[in-house]
Amino acid sequence: MFDSIQDISLYIVLAPLIGAIIAGLFGGQIGRVGAHTVAILGVAISFVLSALVFKWMVFDGMEPQNFSVYTWLVSEGIRFEIGFLIDELTAMMMVVVTFVSLMVHIYTVGYMSHDEENWPAGSKAGTNSYQRFFSYLSLFTFSMLMLVMANNFLQLFFGWEAVGLVSYLLIGFWSSRESAVFANMKAFLVNRVGDFGFLLGIAAVLMYFGTLDYASVFNAVEHHKDMTITIWPGSEWNIITVIGILLFIGAMGKSAQVPLHVWLPDSMEGPTPISALIHAATMVTAGIFMVARMSPVYELSEVALSFVLVIGAITALFMGLLGLVQHDIKRVVAYSTLSQLGYMTVALGVSAYAAGVFHLMTHAFFKALLFLAAGSVIIAMHHKQDMREMGGLRKYMPITWLTSLIGSLALIGAPGFSGFFSKDSIIEAVGHSTIPGAGFAYFAVLAGVFITALYSFRMYFLVFHGKERMDEHTRSHLHESPRVVTVPLILLAIPSVFIGWAYVGDMVFGDFFINAITVLPEHDVLSEVGFTSAFGMLLHGFVTAPFWLALAGVGVAYYLYMVRTDLPAKIVQLPVIKTLYAILQRNYGFDAFNNLVFGRGSRGLGTGLWKGGDTMLIDGLLVNGTARLVGWFSSVLRRVQSGYLYHYAFAMIIGLLVLFGLFVVA
Amino acid sequence: MSFEQIVFYFFSAILLLSALAVITVRNPVHAALFLVLAFFTTAALWLLLEAEFLAITLVLVYVGAVMVLFLFVVMMLDINTSTLKERLGSYLPVGGLVAVLAIAVMAAAVGRDHFGLEQYAAPERLAADASNTRMIGEQLYTVYLYPFELAAVILLVAIIAAIALTLRTRPGSRYQNIDKQVKVKRDERLRVVKMDSEERK
Amino acid sequence: MNFEMPNFALAMPEMFVLGMACLILLVDLFLNERSRVVTYLLSQATLVGAFILTLSLYTPVRELTFSGTFVLDPMASVLKMAVYAVVFVMFLYTRSYLQARQMFTGEFYTLALFGVLGMMVMISAHSFLTLYLGLELLSLSMYAMVALQRDNRVASEAAMKYFLLGAMASAMLLYGMSMLYGVTGSLDLGEISRAIDEGEIERMLLVFGLVFMLVGVAFKLGAVPFHMWVPDVYHGAPTAVTQFISTAPKIAAFALLIRLLVDGLGGLQSEWHDILVLLAILSISVGNIIAIAQTNIKRMLAYSGIAHAGFLILGVLSGTAEGYAAGMFYVIVYAVMGLAGFGMVLLMSRAGFEADSLEDYKGLNQRNPWFALMVLFIMFSMAGVPPFIGFWAKLAVLQAVVASGLIWLAVLAVIFSVIGAFYYLRVIKLMYFDAPADEARIEPGRELAAVFSGNALVILAMGLFPGALMAICIQAFAL
Repeated sequence: MFDSIQDISLYIVLAPLIGAIIAGLFGGQIGRVGAHTVAILGVAISFVLSALVFKWMVFDGMEPQNFSVYTWLVSEGIRFEIGFLIDELTAMMMVVVTFVSLMVHIYTVGYMSHDEENWPAGSKAGTNSYQRFFSYLSLFTFSMLMLVMANNFLQLFFGWEAVGLVSYLLIGFWSSRESAVFANMKAFLVNRVGDFGFLLGIAAVLMYFGTLDYASVFNAVEHHKDMTITIWPGSEWNIITVIGILLFIGAMGKSAQVPLHVWLPDSMEGPTPISALIHAATMVTAGIFMVARMSPVYELSEVALSFVLVIGAITALFMGLLGLVQHDIKRVVAYSTLSQLGYMTVALGVSAYAAGVFHLMTHAFFKALLFLAAGSVIIAMHHKQDMREMGGLRKYMPITWLTSLIGSLALIGAPGFSGFFSKDSIIEAVGHSTIPGAGFAYFAVLAGVFITALYSFRMYFLVFHGKERMDEHTRSHLHESPRVVTVPLILLAIPSVFIGWAYVGDMVFGDFFINAITVLPEHDVLSEVGFTSAFGMLLHGFVTAPFWLALAGVGVAYYLYMVRTDLPAKIVQLPVIKTLYAILQRNYGFDAFNNLVFGRGSRGLGTGLWKGGDTMLIDGLLVNGTARLVGWFSSVLRRVQSGYLYHYAFAMIIGLLVLFGLFVVA
Repeated sequence: MSFEQIVFYFFSAILLLSALAVITVRNPVHAALFLVLAFFTTAALWLLLEAEFLAITLVLVYVGAVMVLFLFVVMMLDINTSTLKERLGSYLPVGGLVAVLAIAVMAAAVGRDHFGLEQYAAPERLAADASNTRMIGEQLYTVYLYPFELAAVILLVAIIAAIALTLRTRPGSRYQNIDKQVKVKRDERLRVVKMDSEERK
Repeated sequence: MNFEMPNFALAMPEMFVLGMACLILLVDLFLNERSRVVTYLLSQATLVGAFILTLSLYTPVRELTFSGTFVLDPMASVLKMAVYAVVFVMFLYTRSYLQARQMFTGEFYTLALFGVLGMMVMISAHSFLTLYLGLELLSLSMYAMVALQRDNRVASEAAMKYFLLGAMASAMLLYGMSMLYGVTGSLDLGEISRAIDEGEIERMLLVFGLVFMLVGVAFKLGAVPFHMWVPDVYHGAPTAVTQFISTAPKIAAFALLIRLLVDGLGGLQSEWHDILVLLAILSISVGNIIAIAQTNIKRMLAYSGIAHAGFLILGVLSGTAEGYAAGMFYVIVYAVMGLAGFGMVLLMSRAGFEADSLEDYKGLNQRNPWFALMVLFIMFSMAGVPPFIGFWAKLAVLQAVVASGLIWLAVLAVIFSVIGAFYYLRVIKLMYFDAPADEARIEPGRELAAVFSGNALVILAMGLFPGALMAICIQAFAL
């Protein structure tokens, strides 16, 4: 039973699905304990088996496995299948997804234990909301696994849409709150834009390659690299570039790259475990994973890579800046997520896929940690999220404090922590790249380091140190969160510290991903960077610009928020800074622009088409006109059905005669 | 014209005329009797084809049993023939035209051009001692076993259907239950009531 | 005379059903109202047993026996199993309906089982004689079932019409068969096919017989212009009986079409192709258009059935194995959808009230959202909306039509199914957007609700995974 990878892959995928179905459909019957038991059990099975697969793949040297499980249908020679591709990249993603998911599942037991308080009294949607939440969590795990384990574009798209759907459901989980409903609608609509590009990309693949299977596409990509497509008359585009950019537009939606990032900060309306699992550790990295998976395609188009690089650099820098002006603890973490996703995208743009994916992994651990720690703080603060009302929590919540510190250090890339290895690899790789846009990107990622350190420690100091600014009632109830909350924090803190040490040599500079990721020799910046061991990198780390920039960031944060706490308010009043601050407060005007142009514009267009096109032309003339004609015809024909037997018999005889006339006589 | 042909045409003509009469005469009893005549003449034609068993069965079963039943039913029902014919006039032109067309097409198809003796040779005469009954029996129980059994099942279904559709126990109808009557006990019929005597007023 | 002993084993399912039907007839005599459920259980057991027997007899080759009057091939096995399954579900559906209307009698079940036997005979027929006898056995059972509610005037009228028109159709079929017997000298389908292929018989005579026979078959399928009985009978018959006659017999009629036209008259393909094109166009257009004017849901489903018959014919007329497979897929899918369609009427009905008016579906969503959703599935599937199974059925048939080069015909069929979508969607509109006219609670039995939901979900599930059934259908014509 446990001897073939085919079977095990199926169990890995199905275990969370079964958990989701039981918890979702029978939640009322099995109760809260039953629901979280089956959900956690499903994900735990999935995690253990994923770890087993990882072990086989990495330590026992198993060959990459590519197999199909079920042929859904065959049309015109194109096979639509469900199948799995298990290689090092997949194995790593599986472990990360199932591990973080397991931690979040356990954490949720504590976080959602008083969920009934979040619903208005007597709300129908509030009954069994706890069970439903677990069902969604497990369903998400299933969808994400389908996405990463896919061996074809169709299944990738299925997983892609399924995680989007669950994300939508979970952002709006507290459906009685208007802001939550607004946020999930926004997330869904923005993702639609990205998904449209993604779908076009898949369609282009199908059109030019005639298959949806990864392996066949990658094998054929060499023959298609000089083909062009005329998008509008007079402009010839290389199809690899077109496919690359279209697919990346999908990634921009899912991984929240500028300008499709607007949904992610709002998604914080969802419960915190969701922010940790979906909007930090896993789903938002789907775009990064997808581009890495498609590396054989991207390698052939420098234009597409440049596009990826520039978008990533913009996101990394400008989204980090927004983190400086937030007061909501979760929003700070959210903008930091955006900025880190930008780093990963930059890595992809310079062909340092391994570094990007490595950062994906370390980020998954420390960002999930930061989110869950923020959640722990929020629990203690009775669901208040404003940092201006916190401070000095160190005394009350030692475990949360310590793990947050670890997370923040990892995030800013303090030497030795996991984030250091992944982020420095990216920065070094960008420095060695010659691809158009690399200069700007190098500046962006360097400046980003300072900003990251500044906002991370701003948050850290505001929450855990300094004056206790909360009201008396809250203060008297402050205490450390229960075990189900702190244990996942500790378990996540461990990889946040050590995972970089353990894997940077293999994953980034070694040949860990040799089967999964293709890099052309002329793009291979990581080998130019040329570290050989984690220790060598660590020593080097202390003499590079990023280290000093990070240190400066922490120093500035300490000065502003610990020593001269009156200064931030004064700085904001300076003339130039004031304008800048206003711009940042308004998120560079993205939301306003979207509301004005896309929101109002499409409503106006819709109204116009509705009144002019639909009501008058289509309904009035075409539909009703046709309907009237058909209706008239119908009522005439209906009279033939008189009910008299001899009419019926006569009709048969006439029919017979007509057939004779047409076929026998003629 | 040989004697056989004379016999054939004689019976054929009577068959066609009586068949026509079945659907045209006003009195249903007459129609049923014309049907009997049609069966008789058909039996005669079968005899000409040396199908003695079939001819006799036709007379026995259809004329002897089925038609008698038919007549019973027809006599019991009081059918008003005049209303049935009322609208014949209005349908006659169209109906007649269609009928003529149909006959024309069919005549063209099955006429002498296609089924004459030139196309199909007359079947050979059977030996004098050939047993029609035996031949049919042999065929029925060997080669045609399966269709034969199926025909039997159809008859069974017909019986079930007929009973299901006609057998009815009216909810209000009274009938004797002999069983119950015989088994009845004294206590069920007679009740001894004890009561105090009343004083005369 | 030399006579080869038949291989009785091949006809085991037929013999089993016959034996069981007779047994049930006897057993039922000794049952009273309360223990009548035994009849029901025995009938279901008969179908299950027949299914197992047929499955165990499945061979990928073609076997003839009973002197060539009986054939067992993959198509026969699959179609028979589909018939058992459909009738099994029909029995599940109708039990409570029959009980509430004093129709829960042994006759209903024995007649239905004899009808099943008739279908099996047709499906496995390899001679004009067996085809005809199977058809008569089926028809006779159905006539009787329609009239089973004796005091129902509408039902009696429907039965009368059905019987008389059916007799006429049978006569035409028989006349056509006698014509072909006359010119080919055989009743055996294989012999007839050989005689036609030799090419010495005048084409005109063959076509003459063909036209007569096709009239008979078209009547059974309910194809225009031989469809007039369909709405009256579907409407007049008790809904339980309608559910029976509108589903499984269509599967048998498909077999009849294939046996006659492909096995027997394959040599006349160019001739019957044109006739079928005409029948298909007329059925699809007339069925879909008149359905719009209906206010009674049973009549609406009847016309929808006529349109579906047209699609079924489309599959056959392409004359290729893919086309036949598509037709088979279509007819099985149609049977499943038909079960659900009339099941919906059964579900909404209660004693003394037939929910057969479109009005009765108003505001169903407010009265019972789950059933409304299931009805939505059924209507979408019938209209051919993906991902429901009805879509794949239409797609397969249209692919076969396009592959045979008749693109105009495919376009025409699509246009009329778009027109037809109107009346399916109207039901959905009534359910979801209108206020309920009847506030009575819908309280079907647990069994009925479960069967109905299961049926509707199967329509969805088959639509998501159409591959398996399609593979079976293709396999059936792979010989």
